[in-house]
Amino acid sequence: MAMIEIDGLRKEYRRVRGGRTVAVDGLDLSVPEGGVFGFLGPNGAGKTTTIRCLLGLVRPSAGRLSLLGADVGHALPSVIGRVGSIVEAPAMFPRFSGRRNLEILARIHGDGEFAIDAALERVGLRDRAKDPVKTYSLGMKQRLAIAATLLRDPTLLILDEPANGLDPAGIVEVRELVRSLGAEGRTVFVSSHILSEVQQTADHVAIVAKGKLIKAGPVSDVLATTGASGVIVKLADLEAGRRALADANIPATIEAGAIRAELPPDQSERISRTLAQAGLYVTELRPDTVDLETVFLELTKDQGVGD
Amino acid sequence: MRLLRSELLRARSRRMVSMVIVGGLIGIVIGLGIASFYSHKPSAAQLASAQQQYDATYQRCLNGKYLGPNQQIDAGATSVADVCSTAVTPPLDGIMLRDIEQILEHISTLVILLGALLGASLGGADWTSNTMGTLLTWEPRRMRVFLVRALVVAIFVVAVTLFLQIVFALVYWLATDVRGVTAMLPPHLVGDTFATMLRVSSMAIAFGLVAYVLAMIGRSTVSSLGVLFGYLILFEGIVAGFRQSIAGSLLVRAATVVISRQPILMEPRDFSGPGVPVPIVLMDVTKAWTVVAVYVLALGAISLVQFRRRDVT
Repeated sequence: MAMIEIDGLRKEYRRVRGGRTVAVDGLDLSVPEGGVFGFLGPNGAGKTTTIRCLLGLVRPSAGRLSLLGADVGHALPSVIGRVGSIVEAPAMFPRFSGRRNLEILARIHGDGEFAIDAALERVGLRDRAKDPVKTYSLGMKQRLAIAATLLRDPTLLILDEPANGLDPAGIVEVRELVRSLGAEGRTVFVSSHILSEVQQTADHVAIVAKGKLIKAGPVSDVLATTGASGVIVKLADLEAGRRALADANIPATIEAGAIRAELPPDQSERISRTLAQAGLYVTELRPDTVDLETVFLELTKDQGVGD
Repeated sequence: MRLLRSELLRARSRRMVSMVIVGGLIGIVIGLGIASFYSHKPSAAQLASAQQQYDATYQRCLNGKYLGPNQQIDAGATSVADVCSTAVTPPLDGIMLRDIEQILEHISTLVILLGALLGASLGGADWTSNTMGTLLTWEPRRMRVFLVRALVVAIFVVAVTLFLQIVFALVYWLATDVRGVTAMLPPHLVGDTFATMLRVSSMAIAFGLVAYVLAMIGRSTVSSLGVLFGYLILFEGIVAGFRQSIAGSLLVRAATVVISRQPILMEPRDFSGPGVPVPIVLMDVTKAWTVVAVYVLALGAISLVQFRRRDVT
């Protein structure tokens, strides 16, 4: 069963001065069970609107959505107890303590002190639990919001830009948390415009732009979309190295002070052996993989993203 | 039930609630402190003389001579004793315990304002803190959220306003005991006083609920209070003054009638017959309750419909 199923989602907002803005335009998406699913796209791509529609906060103009097999329009209350979510910035009462904020939410679900303590412990906020939320850093607020989602021991987590605005240490903390949640067998649906961040945590990704799905699938498949992969080789005599590789039927070019061999990274051993046999010794050998950012720019270049 | 417990905790944690209580207590102490300062306890001789005069006047009243010049019968009175206990006052200055009911009626405006403030704050806080989205991802049934929160507003307004009125009454009793008069009390004073408190708190609930539903429509505390007071002052206060006939449909007038139990009467316009014209009853107590209920229910229905339909972004 798909954890999230979106079929032809469209959302239009009326402008104050007339006319309409299309935030999501016929989006189809299926999120498999387990692991981390990255929902990628630039600002304004429709990620947050899609999440709001999934959580029943916003009424879709058209399309069908289901969460954990339940239709969002009619049966959301029956599954919402198994879904933890953060939409945009973590919203908590700033004058209440972190614990009091969690207590208010925990009572809705009937959770007790133990669940609150466990959630605070999990995100490393137990020592600051009695302090007002307004004294928390952005990273701490983000972690508190994640603690709130964990209160229900959710099957599905929906996190909207969880690393947004965090410092590098905060980003690493959230990344580790997301990764561990996914490794526990939960499904974590993470939206982000920071592609490199998602690449490090997600198993599957979907790329959206201008409210439309551009590409979806396992990260490896999406990365393979451009077909660009190879091995970067550095050695003292680049030209001699290129010739030796060509003689061994390994296509290679010299780019930016290094040789780029057109060979899958898992066959790097062929390169080092060929060069060693020619009396050439490598000083650096690394895969020249494309990242999501490259793929994203490649896939969206016709969509006018960034215009 | 879980949602109610959560909402009660949320409301209890709000600073506004404690501010209203503390502010109310400070106001009571200062107000009654000043009243006590300017009052004095009569001597035993003064009290005995006043008691004698009072008893004589009261007896005359019971015998039927209850209407002095410019005196009107209390519309809420159900017996001659009722009429006399209001019409006959002891010939003494200073604060008197027997006036507690009237004083509660006079301060009811402040109590109702506190109710409106609480309702607006409890309704608008989630929109101001941007936490409505968070709440709805825990309980997506918006009608349930709306109704439970309205219930919490009612519970908090009645608890806070009753508490403050009871404290006021106790402090007033203490003040009259020390610096005023506690004699010559009308019958049923305790019961009547408590009934007045309940009527005032009921109106505070009504205004609290109106402020709450306006906060849910305007999605902020400030907009709720702005619209409410704008309506009450500009429309009910000024515009309605030009047309007396619509006084029977106004919220403030209805609340006044409920609390005072005095109907709003209007002189007939084209009376030409002999004798005294019989006034027209624009609003009696039953109609006043109905008007208040209609305001609360109509605004509540509008607010609920738009809360269920509008996107939370």
